[in-house]
Amino acid sequence: MENYEKIEKVGEGTYGKVYKAKDKTSGQLVALKKTRLEMDEEGVPPTALREICLLQMLSQSLYVVRLLCVQHVDKNGKPLLYLVFEYLDTDLKKFIDSHRRGPNPRPLAPTLIQSFLYQLCKGVAHCHSHSVLHRDLKPQNLLVDKEKGILKIADLGLGRAFTVPLKSYTHEIVTLWYRAPEVLLGATHYSTGVDMWSVGCIFAEMVRRQALFPGDSEIQQLLHIFRLLGTPSEEQWPGVTSLKEWHPYPQWKPQNLTRAVPTLEPDGVDLLSKMLQYDPANRISAKAALDHPYFDSLDKFLLNTKHDNPDVLLPNDAIVVLE
Amino acid sequence: MAANFWASSHYKQLLDQEDVEAVHSPDKEKGITLEEFKLVKMHMANYIMRLAQVVKVRQRVIATAVTYMRRVYTRKSLSEYDPRLVAPTCLYLASKAEESTVQARPLVFYIKKQCPDEKYRFEIKDILEMEMKILEALDYYLVVYHPYRPLTLFLQDAGLTDMTQLAWGLVNDTYKMDLILVHPPYMIALACIYIGSVLKEKDTTSWFEELRVDMNVVKNISMEILDFYDNNKGILEDRVNAALNKLALKQ
Repeated sequence: MENYEKIEKVGEGTYGKVYKAKDKTSGQLVALKKTRLEMDEEGVPPTALREICLLQMLSQSLYVVRLLCVQHVDKNGKPLLYLVFEYLDTDLKKFIDSHRRGPNPRPLAPTLIQSFLYQLCKGVAHCHSHSVLHRDLKPQNLLVDKEKGILKIADLGLGRAFTVPLKSYTHEIVTLWYRAPEVLLGATHYSTGVDMWSVGCIFAEMVRRQALFPGDSEIQQLLHIFRLLGTPSEEQWPGVTSLKEWHPYPQWKPQNLTRAVPTLEPDGVDLLSKMLQYDPANRISAKAALDHPYFDSLDKFLLNTKHDNPDVLLPNDAIVVLE
Repeated sequence: MAANFWASSHYKQLLDQEDVEAVHSPDKEKGITLEEFKLVKMHMANYIMRLAQVVKVRQRVIATAVTYMRRVYTRKSLSEYDPRLVAPTCLYLASKAEESTVQARPLVFYIKKQCPDEKYRFEIKDILEMEMKILEALDYYLVVYHPYRPLTLFLQDAGLTDMTQLAWGLVNDTYKMDLILVHPPYMIALACIYIGSVLKEKDTTSWFEELRVDMNVVKNISMEILDFYDNNKGILEDRVNAALNKLALKQ
């Protein structure tokens, strides 16, 4: 760890402290995530090892924050792991905030929203193709390079190995705003749809510059959703009334989604509505979202070249299908 | 684990033959030759395979364990990292990374049962300590790609599934060499298919042509494998022990 000079604490994430630091030899800025390693009579927990493997695999995507290396330190006999990630200067929450408040409040440019959403869907599609759910997508977990217009998913998969993200490390309440209705209603089995719901909420938030469903309790969260999208019915979402937390809620009629995102073009509203489908089985997948007409006008090649390690240089479609 | 090999750490970590075959100076000082270095690694690969059979793990775990062991010795010397401890620990670590965890206690038990030689005996705490050291030596890069899956796909594509057993066996044997550190796994698979087709007198020329891979590389790997078989007819336990004794590790 002596290779890194800690510059400042940039966050106390759900899983531990995060430092901005500098690699003394290369001068490269990095994010250091400190994690305590719970050792037992079987050495390094397999879950932690699997998690590191997953992070290494997932961080191959340009749209996922890159894990540069892992460092092990013994502090007073307690093993610590530092996960060293690439550093990006801000996150989507701060970025949206800077467009709402501050000296120059202005909407996010429609082309930027389009590009960010595309990058987000790319990253989510990559995770889902490896059967990894993020489960906690939110603007704070999306790192942004303002200059280059790059967005990358962070805080991936740490949840499963290191701690259960019910209460955060700092006892700050984990935000419910991006939580899918099936999770709020107590579904025991959920899938990739939970992430797509979050993507929809984040999409709307970029357009509105404020959260779409800012609930402060699980019930409030559900009511926010129902008020906009209507109270779900069995026809719309088979099985919903058998979920654990289902109650006879007030009956709201669905509103026109355009009213929530008045400045969004029709193709964008269509894509958003497909992300905010009640029945998770009907919700659009990340992969399908990438082909939605909303992205037709996006210059995907230019986007690709913004990343310092563009996709096109990798022989991804080499004749050989590898493991 | 499925992923894109080209973007993986495995791809980036492929080494040149010379780097893999460099005897580390502490070992050189003890008189270890390149031939002995290779021999010890091969012996340890065999040891991992034998242990794996009794603790019952999949072929994939064996392959990953052997790859870890070989990677360790591209960076660390035999003198610093006793191969007799590194080998079982790599199996232990690979079993965790590949999701078929072997517990330390039965592993230690089987080591004692398998090896009458005192010098192979270690306690659980030795394994756990070495685990941490190996993780560091590997830089925590635990994802390894193997030739098995491309092999299966290629054999299907070429309509050579009747050759599966032979080719699979050849792939298993490649782990007795350092090929996995030097060549992309699919090239190793192709070399094994090439050898198999020559042995079974099947004409695969047009199939290989359609693949548009560098046949020179495929043939070179094949030659290496065949040379290996030639050179290691009747490996003598004594040669291995002589090399290990030079290291004067555990008394």
